[in-house]
Amino acid sequence: MTQPDGISLTGINKIFAGRGRTVEALSDVSLSCPASSFTALIGPSGCGKSTALRIALGLEQPDDGQVIIDGYLPAEATKAGLTGTAFQDAALLPWRTVRRNVEVPLEVLRRKLAQEKDQVLDLINLVGLKGYENSLPGELSGGMRQRVAIARALVTNPRVLFLDEPFGALDQILRRQMNVELQRIWTETQSTALLVTHGIDEAVFLADRVVVMHSNPGRIVEIVDVPFDRPRTPDLFSAPEFHALNNRIAKVLHDGQHEG
Amino acid sequence: MMASMRDDPSGLLRGLRSLAIIVMLWEIVGRLDLVADGALPGFSEILIRLWEDRGDYPKHVAATLYGSGFGFLIGNLVGIVAGVAFYLSPTLLRLFRGVNIAVFALPPIAIAPILVLTLDGMAPRIALAALGVYFVAMTSTVIGLSQADSRAVDVVRAYGGGKWMSLRLVQIRAAMPSILSAFRIAAPNAVLGAILAEFGGGGRWGLGNYLLGSLGRAEPDRLWGIGLVATLIAALSYLAFALLARQLVGASRAVTLNTALPTPAKPIGRMQNGLIIGGAIALPFLVWWGFIVVSGVPDLISKTPLGVIDYLFFASSAASAQARLLAAFAETLPITFAGMAAGLLFAFLLAISSRLFPNLVRAFMPVALVTQTMPLVALTPLLVLILGRGASLTLWVTISVTFFPAFVTLAQGLALVPKSVQDLPKAYGATGLQEMQMVTLPASLPYLFAATRLTVPRALLGVMIAEWLATGKGLGNLLNQSRGFLDYGMIWSVAAASVIVSVVFYFAVVVLERFTLSRMGMQTAE
Repeated sequence: MTQPDGISLTGINKIFAGRGRTVEALSDVSLSCPASSFTALIGPSGCGKSTALRIALGLEQPDDGQVIIDGYLPAEATKAGLTGTAFQDAALLPWRTVRRNVEVPLEVLRRKLAQEKDQVLDLINLVGLKGYENSLPGELSGGMRQRVAIARALVTNPRVLFLDEPFGALDQILRRQMNVELQRIWTETQSTALLVTHGIDEAVFLADRVVVMHSNPGRIVEIVDVPFDRPRTPDLFSAPEFHALNNRIAKVLHDGQHEG
Repeated sequence: MMASMRDDPSGLLRGLRSLAIIVMLWEIVGRLDLVADGALPGFSEILIRLWEDRGDYPKHVAATLYGSGFGFLIGNLVGIVAGVAFYLSPTLLRLFRGVNIAVFALPPIAIAPILVLTLDGMAPRIALAALGVYFVAMTSTVIGLSQADSRAVDVVRAYGGGKWMSLRLVQIRAAMPSILSAFRIAAPNAVLGAILAEFGGGGRWGLGNYLLGSLGRAEPDRLWGIGLVATLIAALSYLAFALLARQLVGASRAVTLNTALPTPAKPIGRMQNGLIIGGAIALPFLVWWGFIVVSGVPDLISKTPLGVIDYLFFASSAASAQARLLAAFAETLPITFAGMAAGLLFAFLLAISSRLFPNLVRAFMPVALVTQTMPLVALTPLLVLILGRGASLTLWVTISVTFFPAFVTLAQGLALVPKSVQDLPKAYGATGLQEMQMVTLPASLPYLFAATRLTVPRALLGVMIAEWLATGKGLGNLLNQSRGFLDYGMIWSVAAASVIVSVVFYFAVVVLERFTLSRMGMQTAE
């Protein structure tokens, strides 16, 4: 038996109706991410990349099409704790400490917190927040809050990791730092990852494949393979072949602007 | 965090300073008998009288505390449970819309006689206090639950958590500030409800009875003393819950702004929609009917909806009853609108000028907040002393009960306009007036509507109380007279008609609000 794809979207359509007009958010989107691969979704604002991710997670229902996550329907996969999620905003509960925020998925899945205590503390160390276990989100910087969100996304040992612009709110320097860290963490977990991002360099640095989307209607126009060996080091950011690939993707993105 | 800690003591200090100035002016004006031949005694004279009357107070205060305390508890309990149920089932919320709006819009004084007729002992006071509390608790719960950070709810849903799970992990906790502020707002409402039921109840103990009993005697200092004690009770409970809220919710504010769009409600079928609307309109009448059946009061005294229709349209005395009711409305409504319009206008002008004259408003705001804790309408007897029993009394009572809540709603709403938006016109060199025109005026519109919705029932209540206690005109007087004549049909008719009129005007405001705001692409403010 072959291993099922980590994420498989087939023929997804989604239309949003509002204020008298309809927006075709996704038109016939099909995408399969092999198990343990890292896929980046990139495209202009409003091209439906976040919607695709929310549909894959079961947060939105597609008008038609099929979603399979690691061999299961999205609702089954999330209930079984197969998925991990980090959103653009850290979305931390402001009244909970860092540790208690990381524990939220465990509580939703009704797992025994006592058994996972070490794992939670290990993750907080992993994202570099040792010593902040009992801090409240309001006492942390933006980058630190985002790292809490990453730790929270990993706490269930997910087979499939959904990342919706997780570093969108961070500055460029911090963002590259977090990219390197995310790659290290992801390599350790061997999960299937789907990253939605605005940053071409981020997508190229992290992903095995970059999926380029255009808007009106939201659709996939090209899937670009990223050939660089892993583990990738920060040196890659200044390599000529890295820039060549960035430019190619930028061109694919740019072509959509003329059509639209 | 630091900023708020620095701000608060100075805000308190400013409030105390304003209060001290008022008390000083009061003392001077009172001692010199400048207001209506001594109708306003000096502050110290009131305190002296309070001391002389100290033997009377404990039993009156205890009775009022008993009624309002139990009402507060019951109203909050029912309100919070209902709020959670309404949040979980939007259909239920829509079905109970009629009941909820009726509870919000009913002038408590109109149904006080009914409760006294149908319930025994302390029950009418508890019921009226609970009614004043229920709506605040219910809406705050629904708003608190549904305004929980949608991103945090998404996190729970992303792990397969359902409604209960996100309720437990996110929303109940997120609704705490909202629910606690409901306790704060509802506490004075409970005191007011209990006092109003005492006005109509004819019992022996309670501050309302004490106030009513002292009204006929020319003793302004005693009346003021009672008013002060009633205010103190309400203000202390307000303060207690405000402090509790600060203790509990200090760290729970969201750290970033949520930009996620609210999810639109699921569309439902026409047929179903019609059924729900029909149910929502029928339900208040069913509740009315059910209440009568449960209370077991004989038909002669308690009138069902059919009984009232019979009394007003088919009974032999129907023509005269109709005429009296219409005449009363003709007297009451114009002055209600005049007072409300004036109160809203003052509030609006003061609130929008806050950007032009920030210091003025900063000095005034603590005073306005303090009046929020006063059972203002229950202080009508004090205004009788100053203004006499003419139409100007009614007008001023109405203005005073509408102005303060409207001002607080508007000023707090305007304070929500992000600083960056306010600063934008300035960054291009706009004058204060230009800035007001571009930002402050449009931004205040949703709050003006919210304030209007809020003040419709208050204005009617204010007018009816003034009419009942002092001027002998209009609906309030008709209600009071009917009590005396044991004209049960009229008591129920006035209650039903005034609630219906209040609801109709409330809806008129809502329709106008929806129309205007949707054209401007704005959302209604709660």
